[in-house]
Amino acid sequence: MDLKKLKNSAAKEIKAAEDLKSLQELFKKYLGKQGELTQILRSLKDLPKRERIMVGKEANEVKNSLSLEFDEREAELKDREVKAAQEKEWIDVTAPGKKIPTGSLHPLTQARRKAEEIFQSMGFEVAEGPDIETEWYNFDALNIPKDHPARDVWDTFYLKNGFLLRTHTSPVQVRYMEKNNPPLRIIVPGTVYRHEATDPSHEFQLQQIEGLMVDKNISVANLKAIVGEFFKRFFEKDIDFRLRPDFFPFTEPSFDISITCLVCKGKGCPVCKESGWLEVAGAGMVHPNVFKAAGLVPGQWQGWAFGFGLERLVMLKHKINDIRLFRSGDLRFLKQF
Amino acid sequence: MVFSYNWLKDYVKNMPRPEKLAELLTMHFAEVEEVKKVRNDYVLDIDVRPNRAADCFSHLGIAREISAIIGSKLQLPLAKVKASAGIKTADFVKVEVKDKRACPRYAAKVVADVKVGPSPKWLQERLRVCGLRPINNIVDIANYVMIETGQPLHAFDSDKLKGGKIQVRFAKKGESIVTLDEDKFDLEQSILVIADDQKPVAIAGIKGGKEPEIDKKTRAVIIEAANFNPRIIRKASKKIGLRTDASLRFEHGLDPNLAELAVNRAAYLIQKVARGKAGNDFIDIYSQKNVPSRIKLDLGYLNNLLGLAVPKAKAVQILKKLDFKIIKESQKSLLVEVPTSRRDVSLPEDLIEEIGRIYGYEKIPVAFPDVSLIPGKRNDRIFWEGLIKDILKEAGFTEAYSYSFIGDKEAKMFKYKSDELIEVQNPVSLEQKYLRPSLIPNLLAAVKRNANNFSDMRMFELGKVFEKAMASKDKSQLTGAATGRDFYELKGVVDLLLHKLGISEIWYDDYQATPEQSKISIWHPKKCAEIKIDGTEIGFLGEISPKILQQLEMPEKMVVFDIDVEALIDSVSWEHEFRPISKFPAVVRDLAVLVPRKVKVADVLNKINSAGGNLVRDVDIFDIYEGDELPGEKKNLAFHIIYQAEDRTLKSDEVDGVQQKIIKALEKSPSWQVRK
Repeated sequence: MDLKKLKNSAAKEIKAAEDLKSLQELFKKYLGKQGELTQILRSLKDLPKRERIMVGKEANEVKNSLSLEFDEREAELKDREVKAAQEKEWIDVTAPGKKIPTGSLHPLTQARRKAEEIFQSMGFEVAEGPDIETEWYNFDALNIPKDHPARDVWDTFYLKNGFLLRTHTSPVQVRYMEKNNPPLRIIVPGTVYRHEATDPSHEFQLQQIEGLMVDKNISVANLKAIVGEFFKRFFEKDIDFRLRPDFFPFTEPSFDISITCLVCKGKGCPVCKESGWLEVAGAGMVHPNVFKAAGLVPGQWQGWAFGFGLERLVMLKHKINDIRLFRSGDLRFLKQF
Repeated sequence: MVFSYNWLKDYVKNMPRPEKLAELLTMHFAEVEEVKKVRNDYVLDIDVRPNRAADCFSHLGIAREISAIIGSKLQLPLAKVKASAGIKTADFVKVEVKDKRACPRYAAKVVADVKVGPSPKWLQERLRVCGLRPINNIVDIANYVMIETGQPLHAFDSDKLKGGKIQVRFAKKGESIVTLDEDKFDLEQSILVIADDQKPVAIAGIKGGKEPEIDKKTRAVIIEAANFNPRIIRKASKKIGLRTDASLRFEHGLDPNLAELAVNRAAYLIQKVARGKAGNDFIDIYSQKNVPSRIKLDLGYLNNLLGLAVPKAKAVQILKKLDFKIIKESQKSLLVEVPTSRRDVSLPEDLIEEIGRIYGYEKIPVAFPDVSLIPGKRNDRIFWEGLIKDILKEAGFTEAYSYSFIGDKEAKMFKYKSDELIEVQNPVSLEQKYLRPSLIPNLLAAVKRNANNFSDMRMFELGKVFEKAMASKDKSQLTGAATGRDFYELKGVVDLLLHKLGISEIWYDDYQATPEQSKISIWHPKKCAEIKIDGTEIGFLGEISPKILQQLEMPEKMVVFDIDVEALIDSVSWEHEFRPISKFPAVVRDLAVLVPRKVKVADVLNKINSAGGNLVRDVDIFDIYEGDELPGEKKNLAFHIIYQAEDRTLKSDEVDGVQQKIIKALEKSPSWQVRK
């Protein structure tokens, strides 16, 4: 009954082995060249045949079973070792990632691109015009006569060379219609200048986006549709908006376009001066005198135009509280976009 | 402009509550910016747009709007004078208008035997609510009627007018006037005045003079209700720097027909309040009568332009409430008479606005236009500018926007001459004196401001620059600036940019400064290159001159590139042919050559390439060494030369042969020495 005893004690010892080295020792002790079981197997040849067969069978079974136990334990111990090693390789995943030097585009560039994409998807082309304008294109052609109080509304930078800095992107309406016959759909992004002192909500240099659509039967209802679609896509949510009466010499009728305050959702808050609405654009149906100034016959065409202040839209979208940041060149601001 | 709620209520039946009224006016007329409770009244601050100044800088005008919006009746104020026999204005004053163009109408009416004293409480209260200070009952009534009707009035003491005369004329050379506020103004000949026999007694349409002032002893009052040319009043007001409630109304243009109502209304109130006597007559110098015009409104056009079918009856009702008359009405059109007070209405579109806004823009549906599908063309300029920005962003540059202006300080620092700069006539501050001729000054200033918070900065701007020679044409420029990097790193960025734009013929030349160019002072004279495409200069790349850095108080070196965007876009190309990847291995051999310091790498590369021929696939310079231990002003250049053939595996001795050829070619120059 030596074999049974041997099997039991060996199995016990294998299970108790705590590392690969002691397991190795055990292997040597039982199954090694001088191992106990090896010796038993070796001594078989001295036994009588009948006994040899019986003992041999049993010894081989013990050997197989022990081998299995060794393999299992070895796998267990190796696994444990790997785990221990990995444990040592622990890293703090909360430590910050390495800073990759990156650049960024100005938030106004990003917003302008977005607006251009939205309008281009609706068949609008992008046109441009010069920053330095003539009085004719900036005022007279837009039905704003000389010495008229309406001109005071646009505080203007005049240049010593007889030109001025455009106060709006609207001159491009006339410039474009002089060269292109309707039907037409354009937007005009560009810089405009207002002669005024700056504060957190006033700036003398701004980005504007002008829109112009002219065809045979273009109506206020169409303006509502295009502008509504723009708001929805620009702010990426359903935005309520409204038209109310306003006055621009180059449109008739003229509108002020307001959207529901994004901060209070229309309930009234300091941002919207408790009104629930934010003015974001001026718009209207192109005035017959503007068609005339551009060399078109007024009765033949109908159309609308609008002008958005891009800074205002971006400020609303990103909750920026000071308009002067846009041209500050401050990397602490620019790198956030 | 502020309006009294109680006052407006005098004219409108079923007046809505103040908040509701504010909302209605905002949606149908003009924005009510504030509603404020003042004692037992409310003040409405209404942003009346300049086109409606003629009729709505008045309580009556606003009341008419309200009556149209809510569809209620308008109650006009009383102006029926109780006539006393024997009192005739002509007995008190003679009026002469010298220039009818400057003064299309002059109405005057006398009220005699007045008792001048403080105004009754109700009158004082209304003026105060509207921001005016009560003075005495006569002056207060003149102001009251102005705020009520929009027609400015002036009251003279009849006894104080020398010679019993009123003359409307332009000021004479050397004349001056002391106003009611005791301010003295010297008058120029372009300024219209009201004068008596001797001298000006009022600046027409702007302010009365001290001399014929109403006081306690005044017995007879002459009320003036005149109409002046808006341009003349506007210019005079600007010239003398005085803007008043009267001039504000005149400079927007008023209906001359308003004078009659105003002069009678004032006489009526003076009778009521100051117990004066008046006749039925008034002096009226009014030759060119302002008659109502007519507009034909096509109802189809109305509906088509709004995108909304407005019922004809509704359109008619709205126009009538706004004091328009319907002269003729058919199924398809209306013939409309425009009240003379509506100087802003002359076209069918103007009528459409009236109908649309009162009916309500909120009723207009949202409808996409039915138009033919015309594919939009790409704006190439914007496309390429966008790509340029993206490339720089990927190269780690942050985009900045700066102002289009520079000041004297920058002009001096960068040595711009005044004939290069476009000067602003009316800058808000000295920092906006000129339009920027370059993006560099403002970009450097931005980098400098950031230096406290950042190191290793890379910033760029793509924007317009303005040169005097170009007059009104602006052009786009691209400028990038970096700190903490050397010339070659930024040259790498420029190379990257040009390659990604599909430009291959790039060359860098030593900067050849022409003395007249102010640009010279910007760059470090020895570390600056001209960037050339196909032999044409498109911009500059270099270190900023130490002098400018010093003036900017910038401790670190800055490398800048400055490129003409139009020239760049002219050279861009999408054409790019794929070069097949060779199936055969490449062999790399290194080569180091010792050359005099001023020998250009480009020249060495040229020699290697031309001697190497087809088998040299690429040559990379991996080291430029200029250590002291090198003999006599020399530098060591080290190259990897990559050999590869398209059709076979190169054998070692074949490569050796070419390499020897290269070495031989290089050593033809006696001062060059290939290191072995």
